[in-house]
Amino acid sequence: MSVKLLFSLLFIFPLLGFLFNGVRFKSKNYKLAGGLATAAVFASFMVAVTLVVKLIGMEEGSRQITAHLFSWIHIGDFVANASFLLDPISAVMILIITGVGTLIHLFSIGYMSHDERPSKYFAYLNLFLFNMMLLVLGDNLLILFVGWEGVGLCSYLLIGFWFSDSEKAAAGMKAFITNRIGDAAFLIGLFIIFFQFGSIEFLTINSLLPTTAEVGWFGPMTLACLFLFIGATGKSAQIPLYVWLPDAMAGPTPVSALIHAATMVTAGVYLIVRLSGLYLLAPNVMMLIAIIGGLTAFFAATIAITQNDIKKILAYSTVSQLGYMFLAVGVGAFVPALFHLMTHAFFKALMFLGSGSVIHAMHEEQDIRKMGGLKKYMPITHFTFLLGWLAIIGVPPLAGFFSKDEILWYTYASPQGSKILWILGVVTAAMTAFYMTRLMALTFWGKSRVAKDVHPHESPVSMLIPLVVLGVLSVIGGWIGIPHVISAVLPGHIPNVLEHWLEPVVKNINLGEISVAAEWGGMLLSITAVAFSATLAYLFYGSSKSEMPNKISTALGPIYKLISGKYFIDELYFGKIINPLIDMSKGLWLYIDVNFIDKITYLAADFAAGCGRGVRDLQNGNIQRYAMYMSIGLIIVLSIILLGS
Amino acid sequence: MDLSVILFYGLSLIVLFFALSVVVSDNPVYSALYLAITMVSLSFVYFLLQAYFIAGVQLIVYAGAVMVLFVMVLMMFDLKKEKDSFSKGRISNLLKVSSVGLLLGLIAGAVRMSTDLMSLSGMSHGKEGLGNTTKDLAILLYTDYVFAFELLGVLLLLIAVGAVAVSRIKGGTHA
Amino acid sequence: MPNLESLLDIGLNHYLIVSAALFCIGMAGVLVRRNVLVILMCIELMLNAVNLSFVAFSHYSENINGQVMVFFVMTIAAAEAGVGLALAVTIFKKFKEVNIRFFEQLKG
Repeated sequence: MSVKLLFSLLFIFPLLGFLFNGVRFKSKNYKLAGGLATAAVFASFMVAVTLVVKLIGMEEGSRQITAHLFSWIHIGDFVANASFLLDPISAVMILIITGVGTLIHLFSIGYMSHDERPSKYFAYLNLFLFNMMLLVLGDNLLILFVGWEGVGLCSYLLIGFWFSDSEKAAAGMKAFITNRIGDAAFLIGLFIIFFQFGSIEFLTINSLLPTTAEVGWFGPMTLACLFLFIGATGKSAQIPLYVWLPDAMAGPTPVSALIHAATMVTAGVYLIVRLSGLYLLAPNVMMLIAIIGGLTAFFAATIAITQNDIKKILAYSTVSQLGYMFLAVGVGAFVPALFHLMTHAFFKALMFLGSGSVIHAMHEEQDIRKMGGLKKYMPITHFTFLLGWLAIIGVPPLAGFFSKDEILWYTYASPQGSKILWILGVVTAAMTAFYMTRLMALTFWGKSRVAKDVHPHESPVSMLIPLVVLGVLSVIGGWIGIPHVISAVLPGHIPNVLEHWLEPVVKNINLGEISVAAEWGGMLLSITAVAFSATLAYLFYGSSKSEMPNKISTALGPIYKLISGKYFIDELYFGKIINPLIDMSKGLWLYIDVNFIDKITYLAADFAAGCGRGVRDLQNGNIQRYAMYMSIGLIIVLSIILLGS
Repeated sequence: MDLSVILFYGLSLIVLFFALSVVVSDNPVYSALYLAITMVSLSFVYFLLQAYFIAGVQLIVYAGAVMVLFVMVLMMFDLKKEKDSFSKGRISNLLKVSSVGLLLGLIAGAVRMSTDLMSLSGMSHGKEGLGNTTKDLAILLYTDYVFAFELLGVLLLLIAVGAVAVSRIKGGTHA
Repeated sequence: MPNLESLLDIGLNHYLIVSAALFCIGMAGVLVRRNVLVILMCIELMLNAVNLSFVAFSHYSENINGQVMVFFVMTIAAAEAGVGLALAVTIFKKFKEVNIRFFEQLKG
């Protein structure tokens, strides 16, 4: 089959699914809707696999499949084609998106079985996948932007899916508006790139890159990178625009797994990895990205410790892990960033789906203080969740360990990195272990605190299959990107497949002299820290309820309040930005608009009405009057002719 | 001063006088009568202009058919002398009449001023006339104008049907 | 002032003036009368004025086409009178009213 056809098929399946479910959106047949949607995504996955196999079959170093579908915009020098690029980066992304997407669709069938509008839900989900593929496969920034906006739209629709609850609808709007800020910056970055390079195609940009890095903050490359990064902070929930992601948990849980953990929120990381050549030329922005990423990881982790809503904890954990990814790209570790993106997609999707399974079993109860002891009711969910837990806290040899360790190592050793950021990373890793262990302990272990009228039960098979598959992936997913130091001592010397695969398109920053001992040392240190804090958390929240957490939180007093209040960032935004803006808009409305602009329009209207009133008598329906006008007109014409001759 | 001059002035005066009477008469029946007289005297003017066929048609169609139609309708309405035969509004009526008068003056002026123009375009002064025109008229009507002539036939048929249809409409809002 | 000779030498102009006068009388009637029937009569007057000018032109330019036109105008005038009267009859039957101002109420 031709490449063009394959690309078209890739997009057509989810689009057809969207159209089918979108047209019959009132249907309550969740099996048909979900089955078709899942089949559509699975078909896309198969096509993606076919394409990637084709890519693997190509010669190393020139692995690149492009397909030009049609010319979209062509104005003067500006060309934007609807053409797509499959290279090692987008191959990784497309496999994650369609693969994890298929699993989550499958899970959704069971999860949405009691919902009022399952067809609408699956239509949105398919549309999301379509847009996400546009985002990662577009060969220019504009197609990417179309996908970028499209996933934003679907995210909005799905967060506010239960829109009759005004809080959930508000969460959708918050996500949308926060993203708008980032999108505006993205567009500015896009314009700068077009002015600088005269093109928005990735391949052209890469071939036009200058050889020396820019110094200072106001070079065109630096500005472009900066604005694109601001766009990425919006989509990928980084400081200062992360506030929407925790609220986004108002949507159905599979949506949180797919959009707000595995795929959409990683779009910012993808963007920076895609433009890594450009970012390497702007070291100042790289530094900023690393700092923002590190801080986001740290602060989100602190908030996660204090939360009691199972999905909120996972949400802040996602923000924190995304912070890791940005830390990675900030220090020039593009491959580890993509690696962590992939492993995170596995284990965080797994944990979200697991939490979905728990919530489903607990009849929409999300407070972990009202859970506990679920292990015996839901053994499979517990076991897969356990795998996710081990993976995210970085227990070797599960997926999270390798990717997180790579990031920390690059933070330590890269010329762009710094020791402070490394310490921040290690502390965050320890905190991750703490809050995740707390989550496990409070939810699955210990005594049951479940309300009497709730009878937890294991989820149906269709929901368990995705959990098992993702659990397996969380365990073995890390083996494709094993760090060099480890593979050197392992029997068989398993190579770093991922790095090798991405090498032709993305290169990590050059580390210079590296010390093997230091890498081992760092690894050991982080494992120790993780083990220590996990044990601590287990002691605090494990089988016997300890008084320690309460004591500590009382002792810390105001600091605990600050953290559990999420640093009052929302309140700050509302107090300092949103409310003043609203007040200003109200002022503009009540004074400028009412007194000035409205008056002008009224004046115009009055003028028109007055003119009409003036000539209204001309049209009074009196035929004789009309005849008189005719005769007067005749007189005028005749006079002109006679006097003129 | 030959006969035609006397006839012209006499007939013109009669035509204009009775035309004015049509307009100013209070009683519509009288108006119809005056109109008939105007039509007949106009047909004499056509005789004077040697348009014998037209004069005949004028007598038959206007003074005959159309006037009968008017009178019949008047009889049906049973209209007596009207109290307010003119539109209300003294000023607007004055304006209307004066505008018409002005129009008349302008047309007269135009006619006078274009005298030279018309004589230049090779017009005779009608001294010899066209002779017996009826036959020529008939030939013209059935050759050059035959299409328009047939169309007129269709139009008259339509009008006959339409007039019947319209006047048969009963009361009420729908036909 | 036209002298006596030009008054006595009857030409196209004289007929045209008569025609114009007739037309203006008819027009004045259309403008000022209230009765629909009288207005229809005045329209006939105006049509006759036009006919007169046609015949006069035809006579003085020795061109018979003008008379053909008169023939057509007469036919149309008869048709117009027929339809106009039919409408007047219908409206009169329904509203017992012949005032032209009343016809404004028929709109819409």
